[in-house]
Amino acid sequence: MALLEVDDVRVSFNTDDGVVHAVRGVSFEVERGKTLGIVGESGSGKSVCTQTITGLTRGAHIEGTAMFDGMDLLQASEQQLRAIRGRKIGMIFQDPLTSLHPAYSVGWQIIEMIRAHDRKTSKAKAKARAVELLGLVGIPYAKDRVDDYPHQFSGGMRQRVMIAMAVALNPALLIADEPTTALDVTVQAQVLRVMRKVQEEFGTAIILITHDLGVIAEMADEVVVMYAGQVMERASRRELFYRHHHPYTEGLLNSLPKHEGPITRLTPIAGTPPSLISPPRGCPFAPRCPYVFSRCVEETPPLEPVFGTTSHTSACFLSSYEEERRQNREELHARQAAAASEGAA
Amino acid sequence: MSADAVPAPSASEPLMRVEHVVKHFPIRTNSLVGRGGPQLRAVDDVTLEITPGETLGLVGETGCGKSTLARCMTRLYDLTGGKVIFDGQDISELSRRQLRPVRREIQMIFQDPYGSLNPRRRVGSIIGDAFAIHGIDSKKGNKRSVQDLMELVGLNPEHYNRFPAEFSGGQRQRIGVARALALKPKMIVCDEPVSALDVSIQAQVINLLKDLQAEFGLTYVFISHDLSVVRHVSDRIAVMYLGKIIETSDSARTFDTSRHPYTRALLSALPPADPDAADRRERIVLSGDPPSPLNPPTGCRFHPRCPKATDKCVTDVPVEAPAFDDPPEHPVACWHPMTRAESLNDFTPEISDTIVGLDPVALETALGATPTDEGTS
Repeated sequence: MALLEVDDVRVSFNTDDGVVHAVRGVSFEVERGKTLGIVGESGSGKSVCTQTITGLTRGAHIEGTAMFDGMDLLQASEQQLRAIRGRKIGMIFQDPLTSLHPAYSVGWQIIEMIRAHDRKTSKAKAKARAVELLGLVGIPYAKDRVDDYPHQFSGGMRQRVMIAMAVALNPALLIADEPTTALDVTVQAQVLRVMRKVQEEFGTAIILITHDLGVIAEMADEVVVMYAGQVMERASRRELFYRHHHPYTEGLLNSLPKHEGPITRLTPIAGTPPSLISPPRGCPFAPRCPYVFSRCVEETPPLEPVFGTTSHTSACFLSSYEEERRQNREELHARQAAAASEGAA
Repeated sequence: MSADAVPAPSASEPLMRVEHVVKHFPIRTNSLVGRGGPQLRAVDDVTLEITPGETLGLVGETGCGKSTLARCMTRLYDLTGGKVIFDGQDISELSRRQLRPVRREIQMIFQDPYGSLNPRRRVGSIIGDAFAIHGIDSKKGNKRSVQDLMELVGLNPEHYNRFPAEFSGGQRQRIGVARALALKPKMIVCDEPVSALDVSIQAQVINLLKDLQAEFGLTYVFISHDLSVVRHVSDRIAVMYLGKIIETSDSARTFDTSRHPYTRALLSALPPADPDAADRRERIVLSGDPPSPLNPPTGCRFHPRCPKATDKCVTDVPVEAPAFDDPPEHPVACWHPMTRAESLNDFTPEISDTIVGLDPVALETALGATPTDEGTS
């Protein structure tokens, strides 16, 4: 059984402009010791989804189930969630400065975190553990720095402190929401390495939420692609990059400037994401999809296995046979080329 | 610096020459002491040339001074030292009034499409401002010209009367582009123009910028921390670290023959969106964080993080010059430039204990003390 099984989660918020349907029927599983990458653009619902699982979306209307360790997190009381957050599920967020309390030393915050879950641990013991953890995440001179305040650390260091705190009680699951987005690339490389090390050491499962496909290619075992509050495609890392099925995944990958090889014109996805206050009927990607046909705007495609596998699923009406999907692509390219030459003439 | 002090005899005259530009910011330690206090050395002796029609990419991490340099080029900041020569004219000492005609020629696009547009003004007047300020046009009608611009950058001209809040991030960035284009400038400095945008939208804006360059022969300075974006748009790339340019070369060379250890590390830190490439690439993980520009390290500013550092790197500032038999257009500021085959992972710093750990002030006094010792003996 998977560590976390999220099934058909729906989250909506009442706002002044109307009801925002931020998450619209999302399902996925996270296996023990593995990394699940969730990738999507701003407003795709990737953060809301995991925040809901940990009970951090107050005032939202929530449906569905999220089974973690035999317990439905979406039905759990605040007290039960408190016992789980930090102890069984650790969390790191994008901005390490606002996630740390500025007026307490980082050591104090880690000790507090350990003792909040286990009063029996003595302060001295908790402090020793804090030093050990800071050393583990690569803070030099951890023993001296444990009494320093967050402002005395750089951004990358603060994010390491956050990781130290998140794994302090050896949680089974670590949720990392854009953990490196605010960091420079050289510091990002350090933080990603620390996360890998933690996973190797403790066998922690990780949900890694990011908009950066490079980080996904580097870290994820399994990948979920989200768009407009729904899962568009789910596949293993290599399948997703080399044998994607969904036109949105294809569009995302084509929009990226290449890392090597000749420089060709980028092919962006036309248009902008739909409003989640009144999402379009049918496939949410249909208005921007180059392959769109009439059925796409009438029915919402279900997430179904493609290419004869069971693990690779895609929410798209295009053929689930590899050969036909390739033909789809070729036809599209021919059509686009014809349109381009017509435009030029 | 010696390599760049003499302007290279190039086929075309550079559009802009940045000569030994220095920009320091005083740090206010208490309310009345401005000068004489500690200085943040944001840009420290930068020399660059920008040829007409090219795109110069400027890359570096947070706090390396790339945005400050951009604002010095456009004279949004006064320089602490050095010169900026644009189209044969020294613009570094011009007054605000004298600068006005220059401002027509050099425009800027900013990172934040939310913060750089006045939320209480309509798009038409934001773009049309340029005409009003410079007292141009009116015969054809400003509205007409603004709508032409909107169409040019892919906005619906009917949205002339809308407010910025009614547009998405990508569309707002197009408004910023339209505003920059209004006066038909020769050069546009783009400061992280796509960093705040989602990838699918980012590609739209990059294509737009490239199309406009082809159509109007624009010269770009393109600042970004995203190396794959910079590679995509730039003809040449200059890499900055802590207020200095450490390596400049044409874009292809930066990616396959970079000489500076920092450039190598920066390139290797960028995760490619390709699992095979991610698995096969060499990972160089630098230790530590970029130091503070308030108190930059002595010698080569990269030495505390550099695997190839030696004593010389601690004491002597490296001279910008081509390494090995590189062309003169590829200067690098490093005492130990890297060959193609070398890997940074094979090196460990060789800095003697007597030198390591000294802070710059102590080191300066220590070094300064040597001649007097000789004098007395």
